[in-house]
Amino acid sequence: MNLSLVDPFVLAQDCPEALTGRLRSGHSTSIRFSHRGDLLASGRLDGIVVIFDIETNGVARKLRGHTRQVQSLSWSANDRYILSASQDWKCVLWDLKDGSRVRTVRLESPIFIAELHPKNHLLFVAALFEEQPLLVDISSEIPKKLALPSAPLRPQIERDNATEKQAAQDAKQTSTVTVFTPSGDYIISGTNKGWMNIIDTSTRQVQYSTRVTSHLIIYIRTTSSGSHIVVNSSDRIIRTFNLPDLADPSHSFDTMRLEVEHKFQDVVNRLSWNHVSFSSTGEYVTASTWMNHDIYVWERGHGSLVKILEGPKEELSVVEWHPHRPFVAAVGVDSGRVYLWSILTPQRWSALAPDFVEVEENVEYAEREDEFDIQPIEELHKRRLDLEDEEVDVLTVEPRKTAEFQPGEFRMPVLLDIEGSDSEDEVVAVGAGQFRRKSPGAGRDWMNDETQASGDEARKTAAASGSASARSNGTKRRRAE
Amino acid sequence: MDPTERSPKRRRSTDNYVESPPRRRSLSHSPTHGSPKYNLTERPARRSYSRADSDDEADRRYYRDRRSPRSSRSRSRRRSRSPSGAIVTPPPEKPTQLHYQPYFILRGHKKGVAAVKFSPDGRWIASCSSDATIKIWDSKTGELAHTLEGHLAGISTIAWSPDSKILASGSDDKSIRLWDVTTGQPQPVPLLGHHNYIYALAFSPKGNMLVSGSYDEAVFLWDVRAARVMRSLPAHSDPVSGVDFVRDGTLIVSCASDGLIRVWDTATGQCLRTLVHEDNAPVTNVRFSPNGKYVLAWTLDSCIRLWNYIEGKGRCVKTYQGHINKNYSIGGAFGVYGTRDYPYAFVASGSEDGSVVLWDVSSKNVMQRLEGHEGAVLGVDAHPTQQVIVSAGLDRTIRLWRVEESNGEAVAGAKVDGEIETAVAEET
Repeated sequence: MNLSLVDPFVLAQDCPEALTGRLRSGHSTSIRFSHRGDLLASGRLDGIVVIFDIETNGVARKLRGHTRQVQSLSWSANDRYILSASQDWKCVLWDLKDGSRVRTVRLESPIFIAELHPKNHLLFVAALFEEQPLLVDISSEIPKKLALPSAPLRPQIERDNATEKQAAQDAKQTSTVTVFTPSGDYIISGTNKGWMNIIDTSTRQVQYSTRVTSHLIIYIRTTSSGSHIVVNSSDRIIRTFNLPDLADPSHSFDTMRLEVEHKFQDVVNRLSWNHVSFSSTGEYVTASTWMNHDIYVWERGHGSLVKILEGPKEELSVVEWHPHRPFVAAVGVDSGRVYLWSILTPQRWSALAPDFVEVEENVEYAEREDEFDIQPIEELHKRRLDLEDEEVDVLTVEPRKTAEFQPGEFRMPVLLDIEGSDSEDEVVAVGAGQFRRKSPGAGRDWMNDETQASGDEARKTAAASGSASARSNGTKRRRAE
Repeated sequence: MDPTERSPKRRRSTDNYVESPPRRRSLSHSPTHGSPKYNLTERPARRSYSRADSDDEADRRYYRDRRSPRSSRSRSRRRSRSPSGAIVTPPPEKPTQLHYQPYFILRGHKKGVAAVKFSPDGRWIASCSSDATIKIWDSKTGELAHTLEGHLAGISTIAWSPDSKILASGSDDKSIRLWDVTTGQPQPVPLLGHHNYIYALAFSPKGNMLVSGSYDEAVFLWDVRAARVMRSLPAHSDPVSGVDFVRDGTLIVSCASDGLIRVWDTATGQCLRTLVHEDNAPVTNVRFSPNGKYVLAWTLDSCIRLWNYIEGKGRCVKTYQGHINKNYSIGGAFGVYGTRDYPYAFVASGSEDGSVVLWDVSSKNVMQRLEGHEGAVLGVDAHPTQQVIVSAGLDRTIRLWRVEESNGEAVAGAKVDGEIETAVAEET
């Protein structure tokens, strides 16, 4: 609702300018904005997932369950569920309503990335290290893991002429990244040999393949509308593609050709890119640089570099763009801080004094005809009241334009004791002016326990699987005695 | 009680005052010679008492002193308005009258009640008083559910969190407390930071932020989870008397007795608009309309003004008159009448003559006066979904009013059909 009051010149700015904030909770390794853009999930080195409230820059929730670094995060469409993948080979689906774990899926190898289906939070796709990617159905307690192919779909002629060696090589390919298209009907995957495959989610067959590069594909991202893809590969080039509307009935994979729209690279410094992402509209592409402190921002229309975001004195890994504001967040590799860039809005002084006007140049003042007439006050009052004859509507709510918060949607519960539960600092106060370093094991008891978050316990008892939880509680109690 | 014992802020203008009950928030009654213009250097109205030493006698004397000039003035205004008051006849289906009937009187507070609020789910009523307690009542049965004790001085303002689980209260002991409504227990750490009495509070629609206005002229934006000040808005040059969040949480409005209403951007903390009326009357309370397009402001010239803050530099679109408001910071609310398909809005406000006045938003006509309170009505709120109004005031009672379904005619001399005295029994 503030848009009508904000300076249009400020609103017209769509690229962040300056470092405006920092968030810190432990050592962050990966971040992701929620779809509504009011929350930022951050996975930590110690396996804890922290949900930051972007409005208050405070911690809204902590999710404990992983024992190693969090690799990737993915939000459900209504922002209630979040899927985290960790280096402990587990994927956990969290319910933010009570902080409980809905599902925990243990996979057979380390996970590169796990992403939730955009419309079904009980289905996700995961790219694994030296394994074929999996489509995991977690609608029941026991997850159904369905393997997806990584071998590219070659044209018929090539297939006929294929040597045995090539067939073996194709079979050895593995996917390094798998993402859903925004509709969820297709999965776009990138392989370690530089192929990009489009896989049908329902049939799990490769529909289309193209060789993007001869190097490994690091990361793929689509715009929120699904019209463009950006691909980061280890050959130090970022490529963007125009993706046709795959749901269009006239669309055919046989005639489809994916053309590279832009190639972004730094030919002088030969920089590699850690992470890429699109801006909210897909107009800009951002990338963080390897062994460098900058974030590059390219404009996709002309393919030109428009800005380099600077500030932190460390290398940045994951960089994410806010879903509908000119606002960029990036993770510092060394400190684990989350840095925030946004636009700076100057205070308009005329807003503070309504009788002041900001003018570009001097204006000669012309007095109103009756400006200095003396009139009885009652007369003025009466006239003023008579003028107030318009109909006013104080009830009708205009339909939403942006993804702002609307009543009735899932609302993140506000926890009042979040800070007290465990302190962020490595140093704790033990008395007036006395501090000591926290012992390394303190506050990590949850790692050894079966029962962890309080929400988990509630869920377990609700599930009436009393025997299992009672047993685990029993061991703990015995230890305590 | 010696006035010099009070804060310097308030001492500033005590010199030309007749000695009056010090527990009253508003020492700022108009000069005895009855000039129609009041003194701008006066301090704003205070909603509840902060001292416990005065008695009813002083109360009554104070009222007797005040009554004569006030009523005559208000009458003259009404007369002057009546020719223009012949406002275009509303469409036939639009009611011109409302028929709220009293049905509960809740007693229990030992001193005047400063504010009363329905919870957003409509289940509870919270009331705060200068006796330093907050009471939570069941809105259906009128039973007292909790008495929240912990503040060291009178409480001027309360605010419900949007999930109806937390109640925030602002007190003259300069602290804001958050209460768990289900247990009745306060959060162990109060929100500290203001240097003077807390005057106004509002939760953001997500419940993650709290905005507070204080006598120390500052508006603070709090992170509710961490219980720390997120942002301080350099708001006003006089005590901040009202704050509110717009329905999507992107704007904050604040008002002060310097006569200014300021609209702030929540995300950046910048002032986007300042509304000021020519008369520059002290503003004592401010609220966004349900759709967030207008701002309703109470001023000490016995007017309530509806501002369109978006258009141009902000424009006063409606002025509601017919109540008396010269000393206190009076609360009010928007309510809805009419049918589900054709809802109309009304403005409800307390009045210092003991009535609750309901105006139609567009026509500015008084649709009903709810009589019953003895003494100024300071808190009025409308039920979020049902046709129920709650009011409270200096007579220590909380009154509920509702529209009887199927009862089209106004019933003259309606009787109170239930008096809830449970709270009194508990107190003694």
